[in-house]
Amino acid sequence: MKLGNYQVKLEKKLKVTGLEAAAISTLAIVIALALVSLIFLKAGVNPLIGYTKIFSYAFANKFGLPLTINRSVFILLCTCAFIVPFRAGLWNIGMAGQLYAGALGAFAVALAFGAKGSQNLDLSPGIVIPLMMVGAMLSGALIGAIPGFLKGRFNTNEIVVTMMLNSIAFWLVAFMIKDGGLFMGAGGEGEGFKLPQSLYAPQILGGPFTILIALGLTGFLYFMFARTKTGYQIKTYGLSPSAARYAGISSYKIPLLVFIIGGLIAGLAGYHLFVAVPGVYKITQNYGDFGDLSFYGIICGLISLGNPLAAIPISLLFGGLTNGGRYVQGELQLGFGIDYALLGVLMITLVAFQFFFRYKIVWKKIAKEKKDV
Amino acid sequence: MPMVEIKRGDTVLEARGITKRYPGVVANDHIDFEIRAGEIHAILGENGAGKTTLMRILFGLTQPDEGEILVFGEKVNFRSPLDAIHLGIGMVHQNRKLIPAHSVIENIILGHPSAGSIMNLKRTGEEITELCTKYDFTIDLKAKIWQLSEGEKQVVEILKALYRGAKILILDEPTSALAPPEIEKLLASIKIMTGSDLALVPFITHKLPIVLTVSHRVTVLRRGKVMARLSTANATENSLAREMVGRDVIFRLEHVNVEKGKPILEVEKLSATNDKGLPALKEVSFSVREGEIFGIAGVSGNGQQVLAEVLAGLRDSMGGKVFLDGKDITRSSSLDKWQKGVGYIPAERIDVGSIGEYSLADNVLMNYYFDDEFNRWGILDSKRIRKLTEALISEYDIAAPGPDTTAKSLSGGNLQKLILARVLSRKPRLIIANLPTQGLDVGATEFVQNKLLEAKKEGAGILLISEDLDEVLSLSDRVAPIYEGEFMDIIPIEQVRKEDIGAMMAGLKHKVAET
Repeated sequence: MKLGNYQVKLEKKLKVTGLEAAAISTLAIVIALALVSLIFLKAGVNPLIGYTKIFSYAFANKFGLPLTINRSVFILLCTCAFIVPFRAGLWNIGMAGQLYAGALGAFAVALAFGAKGSQNLDLSPGIVIPLMMVGAMLSGALIGAIPGFLKGRFNTNEIVVTMMLNSIAFWLVAFMIKDGGLFMGAGGEGEGFKLPQSLYAPQILGGPFTILIALGLTGFLYFMFARTKTGYQIKTYGLSPSAARYAGISSYKIPLLVFIIGGLIAGLAGYHLFVAVPGVYKITQNYGDFGDLSFYGIICGLISLGNPLAAIPISLLFGGLTNGGRYVQGELQLGFGIDYALLGVLMITLVAFQFFFRYKIVWKKIAKEKKDV
Repeated sequence: MPMVEIKRGDTVLEARGITKRYPGVVANDHIDFEIRAGEIHAILGENGAGKTTLMRILFGLTQPDEGEILVFGEKVNFRSPLDAIHLGIGMVHQNRKLIPAHSVIENIILGHPSAGSIMNLKRTGEEITELCTKYDFTIDLKAKIWQLSEGEKQVVEILKALYRGAKILILDEPTSALAPPEIEKLLASIKIMTGSDLALVPFITHKLPIVLTVSHRVTVLRRGKVMARLSTANATENSLAREMVGRDVIFRLEHVNVEKGKPILEVEKLSATNDKGLPALKEVSFSVREGEIFGIAGVSGNGQQVLAEVLAGLRDSMGGKVFLDGKDITRSSSLDKWQKGVGYIPAERIDVGSIGEYSLADNVLMNYYFDDEFNRWGILDSKRIRKLTEALISEYDIAAPGPDTTAKSLSGGNLQKLILARVLSRKPRLIIANLPTQGLDVGATEFVQNKLLEAKKEGAGILLISEDLDEVLSLSDRVAPIYEGEFMDIIPIEQVRKEDIGAMMAGLKHKVAET
C-alpha cells in the first residue's frame, strides 16, 4: 500500500517475546478503554470519573476487592480448564457443566457425612474438606472424560458434546436442589442446603485458600507444558495429530487425558465458588449465572494464547472489570450493562491486536522514480 | 491476449535484474534471462537456490523488489497471477491445484472467462479434444480427478493452461511424480508443443538426464544468482551438476556389498486397506535381512505408502503377520515399534515427520521423549536434548543457526536431514525409508543416500520405498516392483534389468523381451 511518499508493508514476525506480547496487550486494553469512553460520554458521564470508580471499586475497595479476587480466581480456574484441552487443539466449552458437577460432587460428600442435618454439626474439617475437594475434582473429571473418550475413540466433535453436557448438568443441579431434591435446602427456595460451620473452607488473609490452589495450579500447568513428557505429548498432539501419531503418541489417550484434567480443574472451580467463597457455602439459586461466567474462561484462554501464567493477569482484569462495571452501573445509574460493553470491546481489541504478535508494519520511503507507462 | 504475431525464435519473455530479498536472505540476486518462442528453457537449481521465488515472480504470485519483466517486448507489472494469465503465461504447479471430486473438463474450464453462468460442455469438450489430438495427450474428459494418476493430473493442468491460451508454460518439477512410461509420454508431448512455437520453462531440481534430453537452453541458479547460461548441446550431466552444487557430484554410487545376516523383518501375507477402505495391499510376503537394502519401486498410490504405515504401526493390517527379529509385532503400537528398533522416515516431511512450530530440539525429541535417558520421572532433560540436537546439526551438516531454530525455517533438504539424523541416531534395527530423497536437490540426495548406505554397513535392515527407479537400482540389494498392492516380483540386484522394472511398475507381468 502506498501512503504519500511512503510504502507501508506487512512483514511476518518470526518470534514474539513475552515483553512485546505484554506491551501489545496493554495497548489493546488502553484502546478498548478509549473506545468505551465514547459510551460514557454518550451517557453524559465523564469517562475519567467512570473509570476511576470502576477501578477503585474493583481493586482498592475493601468490599470490592474480595469480590474481585474471588471472581478472578473462578475465571482463572475456568481458563485453566479451557487451556489444557486447548493446548491439545481441542475446545472445552463445557466448563459450566463440569463446575456444576464439581459442586454436586463436593456437596454429595458433605451429604454423606450427614451435613444436611444441622448448621451446627461438628464434623472434622481435616478429613471432610479434602474429601469434598476430591469429590468435586472427581465429578468434574468424570463428566469431562465423556467428551474426551468420545473424541479419542470415535472422533466425535468435542464442542457439541461439551455443550450438550452443560445442559444436562444444569438440569441435574436443578433436579437436586429444587423441591424435594436430595440436596434441597431447609428453606426450600430453590437453593441447596447450607454447609455446617465446621466445613467452611479455611481462609488466608481474608480470602479462601483456593486462591493459593489456583495460583499453584497455573504454575504447575506452566511447568507441565514447558518441561514434562506429558506436556510435550499434549502440545505435539495439538500442533499436529498426524505427527504425534508418528511419534508414538496415542491419539486416543491424549483427548481423554486433557478432558479429564480440564474437567478436574473446572470441578475445582465449582468447589471454589460454592464451597470456599466466604458467605456462600451452598449451591445458590442463581447458579446458572456462574455457569455463564465460566465462558470468560474461553476468552481469557484464547487471549493468553494457552499460556497459564499469562492467564493470571488477564483473569484478574476480567474479574475486576465485571465486578467494578456492575458496581458503577448502579452507582452512576447507567441505563445499560457497562460491564458487558466494556468486556465485549476489550475482547475484540485484545484479539484484534494479536495480529501484531505475528505481523509488524514496516514503513519505507519510496525513492522518487518515474511513473511507469 | 496480445495481438502480436509470434515467430519462432522471438524473445517472448525477458527478465532483467530480478531481485527479491527476504529477511536474512537474497532469494533472487539480479537474475537475467530470456525465453524464446519454440524453446524449452530449463531453470536448474538446488532447493533454496531461488527457483521457487523466481517462478512465483514470473507468474505474478510475488512482486520483485527490483528488476523488470518484459513479456512479448512490453514491460509488465504483475499484481496477481490473473495479470500473468491474461498475457499468456500458464503455470503447472507441482502441488496439483485441481478439485478431486470434479471431472477433467470441469476442472479445465474452471475460472475460464468463457465459462459464464451457462456452461457449454459439448463445445468446450470438442475444443479440448482438439488440443489433445494436436499435442498427443490421451485423457478421458469425463473422468473425475481423484481417479487419475499423477501423470494424468499433470496433463489436466497443462491442458488447463493451454485452453486459457498460454503461450509460455511454466512447469514446476514436471517429471518428479511420474512413472517412467508417463515421463516418456510427457516428453513426447512437450516436443510437439515446442514445434508449435510455445515456450516451455521447466523448473527442475534433479533428474539431470531429462534436462539434457529435452531442453534447448539451461539457466543454472545457485544461491539466488545465475551461475551459468548454457545451450544444452554444450552441457554434460557433470558440468550442470557442478554449476548447481558448486562441486563435483558422484552420480553412480558404488554398490556396497555387506555380509547379509539373519532376517530382521519378516512379512507374511500382509494385507491392508487404504483410507477409503479399499484393499491397497494384497497378501504381500517378503523379508529384509541385516545389512540389506530391500527396494520397493512403484508409482505412488500402489500400496507402498500403506505398507510403510502398517509396518510403522500407523495403520491396522487386515491380515497376515509381521515379525521383527522373530517376534510377532503385527499388533504393536507405533511407540512399541520405536522402542523395539523400528525407525520410520515418513514421506510427508512437513505433515508427519516434523512440526514446523517446534524448535529443532523439540523436533528431535519426537523420537526420544519416551526414552528413560531423556526423561526422569516424566520431566524432560532439556539439556541433554539440546546437546543431542547440536551434535546432530553438526554431524549431518544441517544449515541452521542452532537447536532453537524453528523447523519451518529449514529448507526441504535440511528438514529431511534433520528427520534422517533423528531416526538414524537411534540406531534402529529396521529402517523404513519412504521416498527419502523426493524433492531433494542433488547435494542433499547424495547425502541422504550415503547415510542410508552407512546404516546398511552397520548392519541395519532397510526397506527403501522410492518412485525414482535410478535410486532404487543404485541402492538396493533386492528390488520388488509394486503394482496395485502386489509385488510383481522380487529380483536380486544382479539380475535386474531397468526396463523390466519400469514395465512391472506399470503393471506388466511379463518381462520385456530380450533384444
